[in-house]
Amino acid sequence: MTLKRSLLVLAVVAVLAVLPYLVSESMTNAAIQMLIAALFASAFSLLCGQAGMLSFGHAAYFGLGSFAAVHAMNAFNGEGLLPTPLIPLAGAGIGLLAGIGAGWFSTKRAGVYFAMITLALAELLHALAPHLKDTFGGEAGISSFRMAAWGFDFGSTIQVYYLVLAWVVGSILLLYLLTLTPFGRLTLGLRENTHRLRFLGYNTHALGTAVFTISAMFAGIAGSLQAVNIEAANYVVFDAGISTTVVLNSFIGGVGTFFGPAIGAAVMTFFGHVTSDMTRTWLLYQGLIFVLVMMFLPRGIVGEAAEWLKNRKSRHLAIGPLFFRLAGLVLIAFGAIAAIELAQRFFSSDYKATVSLGNWPPVTFLGREWLPFAATTWIVPLALLGAGVALTLIVNRHTAKAAGEA
Amino acid sequence: MTFNAFLRAGVACATIALAGAAAAEPLKIALVETLSGPQASTGLLYRTAVQYQIGKINAAGGFNGEKIALVEYDNQGGPVGAADRVKAAIADGAQIILQGSSSAVAGQITEDVRKFNLRNKGKEVLYLNLGAEALELTGAKCHFYHFRFSPNAAIRFKTVALGMKGKGILGTRAYAIDQNYSWGVDVENTVVANAKEIGYEVVDKTLHEVNKIQDFSPYVAKIQAANVDTVFTGNWSNDLLLLMKAASGAGLKARFATAFLDQPGNIGNAGAIAEGHVVSTPFNPEANGDATRVFAEDYKAVTGHYPAYVEPAAVFGLMLFGEALKDVKLDGGKIDTTKIALSIEKATVKTPMGDYSMRSDDHQAQFPMVVQTVSKEAKVKADGTEFGFLPIKSFTGAESIDPVQSTCSMQRPG
Repeated sequence: MTLKRSLLVLAVVAVLAVLPYLVSESMTNAAIQMLIAALFASAFSLLCGQAGMLSFGHAAYFGLGSFAAVHAMNAFNGEGLLPTPLIPLAGAGIGLLAGIGAGWFSTKRAGVYFAMITLALAELLHALAPHLKDTFGGEAGISSFRMAAWGFDFGSTIQVYYLVLAWVVGSILLLYLLTLTPFGRLTLGLRENTHRLRFLGYNTHALGTAVFTISAMFAGIAGSLQAVNIEAANYVVFDAGISTTVVLNSFIGGVGTFFGPAIGAAVMTFFGHVTSDMTRTWLLYQGLIFVLVMMFLPRGIVGEAAEWLKNRKSRHLAIGPLFFRLAGLVLIAFGAIAAIELAQRFFSSDYKATVSLGNWPPVTFLGREWLPFAATTWIVPLALLGAGVALTLIVNRHTAKAAGEA
Repeated sequence: MTFNAFLRAGVACATIALAGAAAAEPLKIALVETLSGPQASTGLLYRTAVQYQIGKINAAGGFNGEKIALVEYDNQGGPVGAADRVKAAIADGAQIILQGSSSAVAGQITEDVRKFNLRNKGKEVLYLNLGAEALELTGAKCHFYHFRFSPNAAIRFKTVALGMKGKGILGTRAYAIDQNYSWGVDVENTVVANAKEIGYEVVDKTLHEVNKIQDFSPYVAKIQAANVDTVFTGNWSNDLLLLMKAASGAGLKARFATAFLDQPGNIGNAGAIAEGHVVSTPFNPEANGDATRVFAEDYKAVTGHYPAYVEPAAVFGLMLFGEALKDVKLDGGKIDTTKIALSIEKATVKTPMGDYSMRSDDHQAQFPMVVQTVSKEAKVKADGTEFGFLPIKSFTGAESIDPVQSTCSMQRPG
């Protein structure tokens, strides 16, 4: 890590350390979720990004970590071997064990077959969990209570935040240090060329299992941190949705970089936290973001940003086109959001209740009233959208021409 | 102030502004429901019902001299989102949490509220459970600040069997087929436990995978071989529809006794296949003469549709809540949720269906249930078909309610 990058990371950690004193309690709570999602994504991309093995079943290890944590909390009551701050060790342990078993099986194959095996193992657990009421608690889940330990009562969000922060920063640091070791280099080799690695005399199956196990272990820590945070675990944590979310988050951030997945997960968790109370269609926006990132920023947000910074000096006037592209993007976003939100309001059941024969009342959006059949209602968003697309196309053509001349 | 908090404060301010100059502290209610994603349809029904009845309470003057502020939070369909939103709601000043569409979410919220109240004496928060039916919530997980305003497996399957028996369509041989998770197991246990008292024999029973089976014909063949008169099933959504379709395809003569046949879309989808099958719910527009009809019409005038599925139970529950608020005298002072809770236990309200009250032992509401069958003769049709739900027998709250579960040990305040 260069000096500049180390300073940047230290600055981020410093901001995180004082965060609860800067934002509201509700935001601190969002920050806890972001940290947990970031650790889960980092654990996932050790396997997916660095070793090149796409797992579609990481919810299994996350969920097992969650359940291990609630059972540990209930068994030890915050005393003895596992006081509250050390509860994530239970998640790490179960993640490790499950990772050895599942990893040994699934790393026997690569590519699509590997993904299918991980998916199958996770679904196995997902199907089994509702039937084992004693272990997984049935529909209402298992709950636990954070007991006081080491002079903290862990009753407030802030104390939980610092506990989660310490574990997440520590875990991500370990994951980073791992990439510097010869083992970390071999992990990259696994992705680049497994055959050559085997010719060189390495046991690639053992190596794959080890990488899988470490990934599952840190996923288990993330899961147990979630259990510590919400003081409960429910079998819905094994849902395939959890597995796909971590895949989407990691790719949006950029699996090619170390911090990309963590940043992607934090950003998308924050996005869900903020938008889900503002609009009913936030899932649509999340999907659109993923599609657009995959189409136009295939290396992910962080991956593309790093690339841009690297090549900045070799480009002429790179700031100018960037500014216009961003302006175009803002216009497109505004236009699309206005069109979607208006359509959503006109098609909602609330609106249907207010419609009476031949009378179509206006809806309120951005403090203005919009009539369903008025031309302005649809021309304004579409014009914004069109202007944004046009601006982006013009900038693209311009830069392409400039590049051709240079 | 963050943008999110700013937005919520704005909503709250707007509500207060409508009520005029704020003098006393308004009661803040947070609806923490599933408002987006694949499970949103039921969550949105709860939202409509809550808006309707809180609107009525506010129109009648609100509480403590102020309009009640209702703020919505999207729990994103799962316990993790719900835990997050409950914290956010409490941080924003909510004193009462409403939710109903999922027992998984309810299990999380009821525990979160219990723990919050343990840690914050004097600032207790109430959880009004409008529809999560898992028996555990008034059993092992029961506590003083949780109230269930909906039926549960025991109430539904006791009344449906008694109603069918009263009408002479129960027969003596029964089959229980349910989904293999806590709800289905609750139903199966109830059906088996009631057999002797009500007078039927459970010939055989099956627990199957949840929402995974596409073809129910092997199960139907098993039911057919058992030669039964009635099939008890707690199945909902696809598991109920596909089961009924397979039964009709195989020419099964038995009648289905269900809990969720009235879910919007079911009758539209099943059509004539559902005819003659039975369901027990807290409401039917024809059950209680003018009272229920007037309520149904008023609900339609306000929301655009007749009250259906989970909506009536939620509205009636909030009627009791509104009645309880009338007995809490704060003289414009600080809101005391413990007083509200105690008042809910004592209140009785006359809903369009009859007397509604709250049992103080486990906080399970006690209200009339009506057993009804799918028929062309029903006046209010479902899903735009020629079928509707025709009441065949009504039960008062005292007749419907199940005994208090032995697993509930409630710690009362003071």
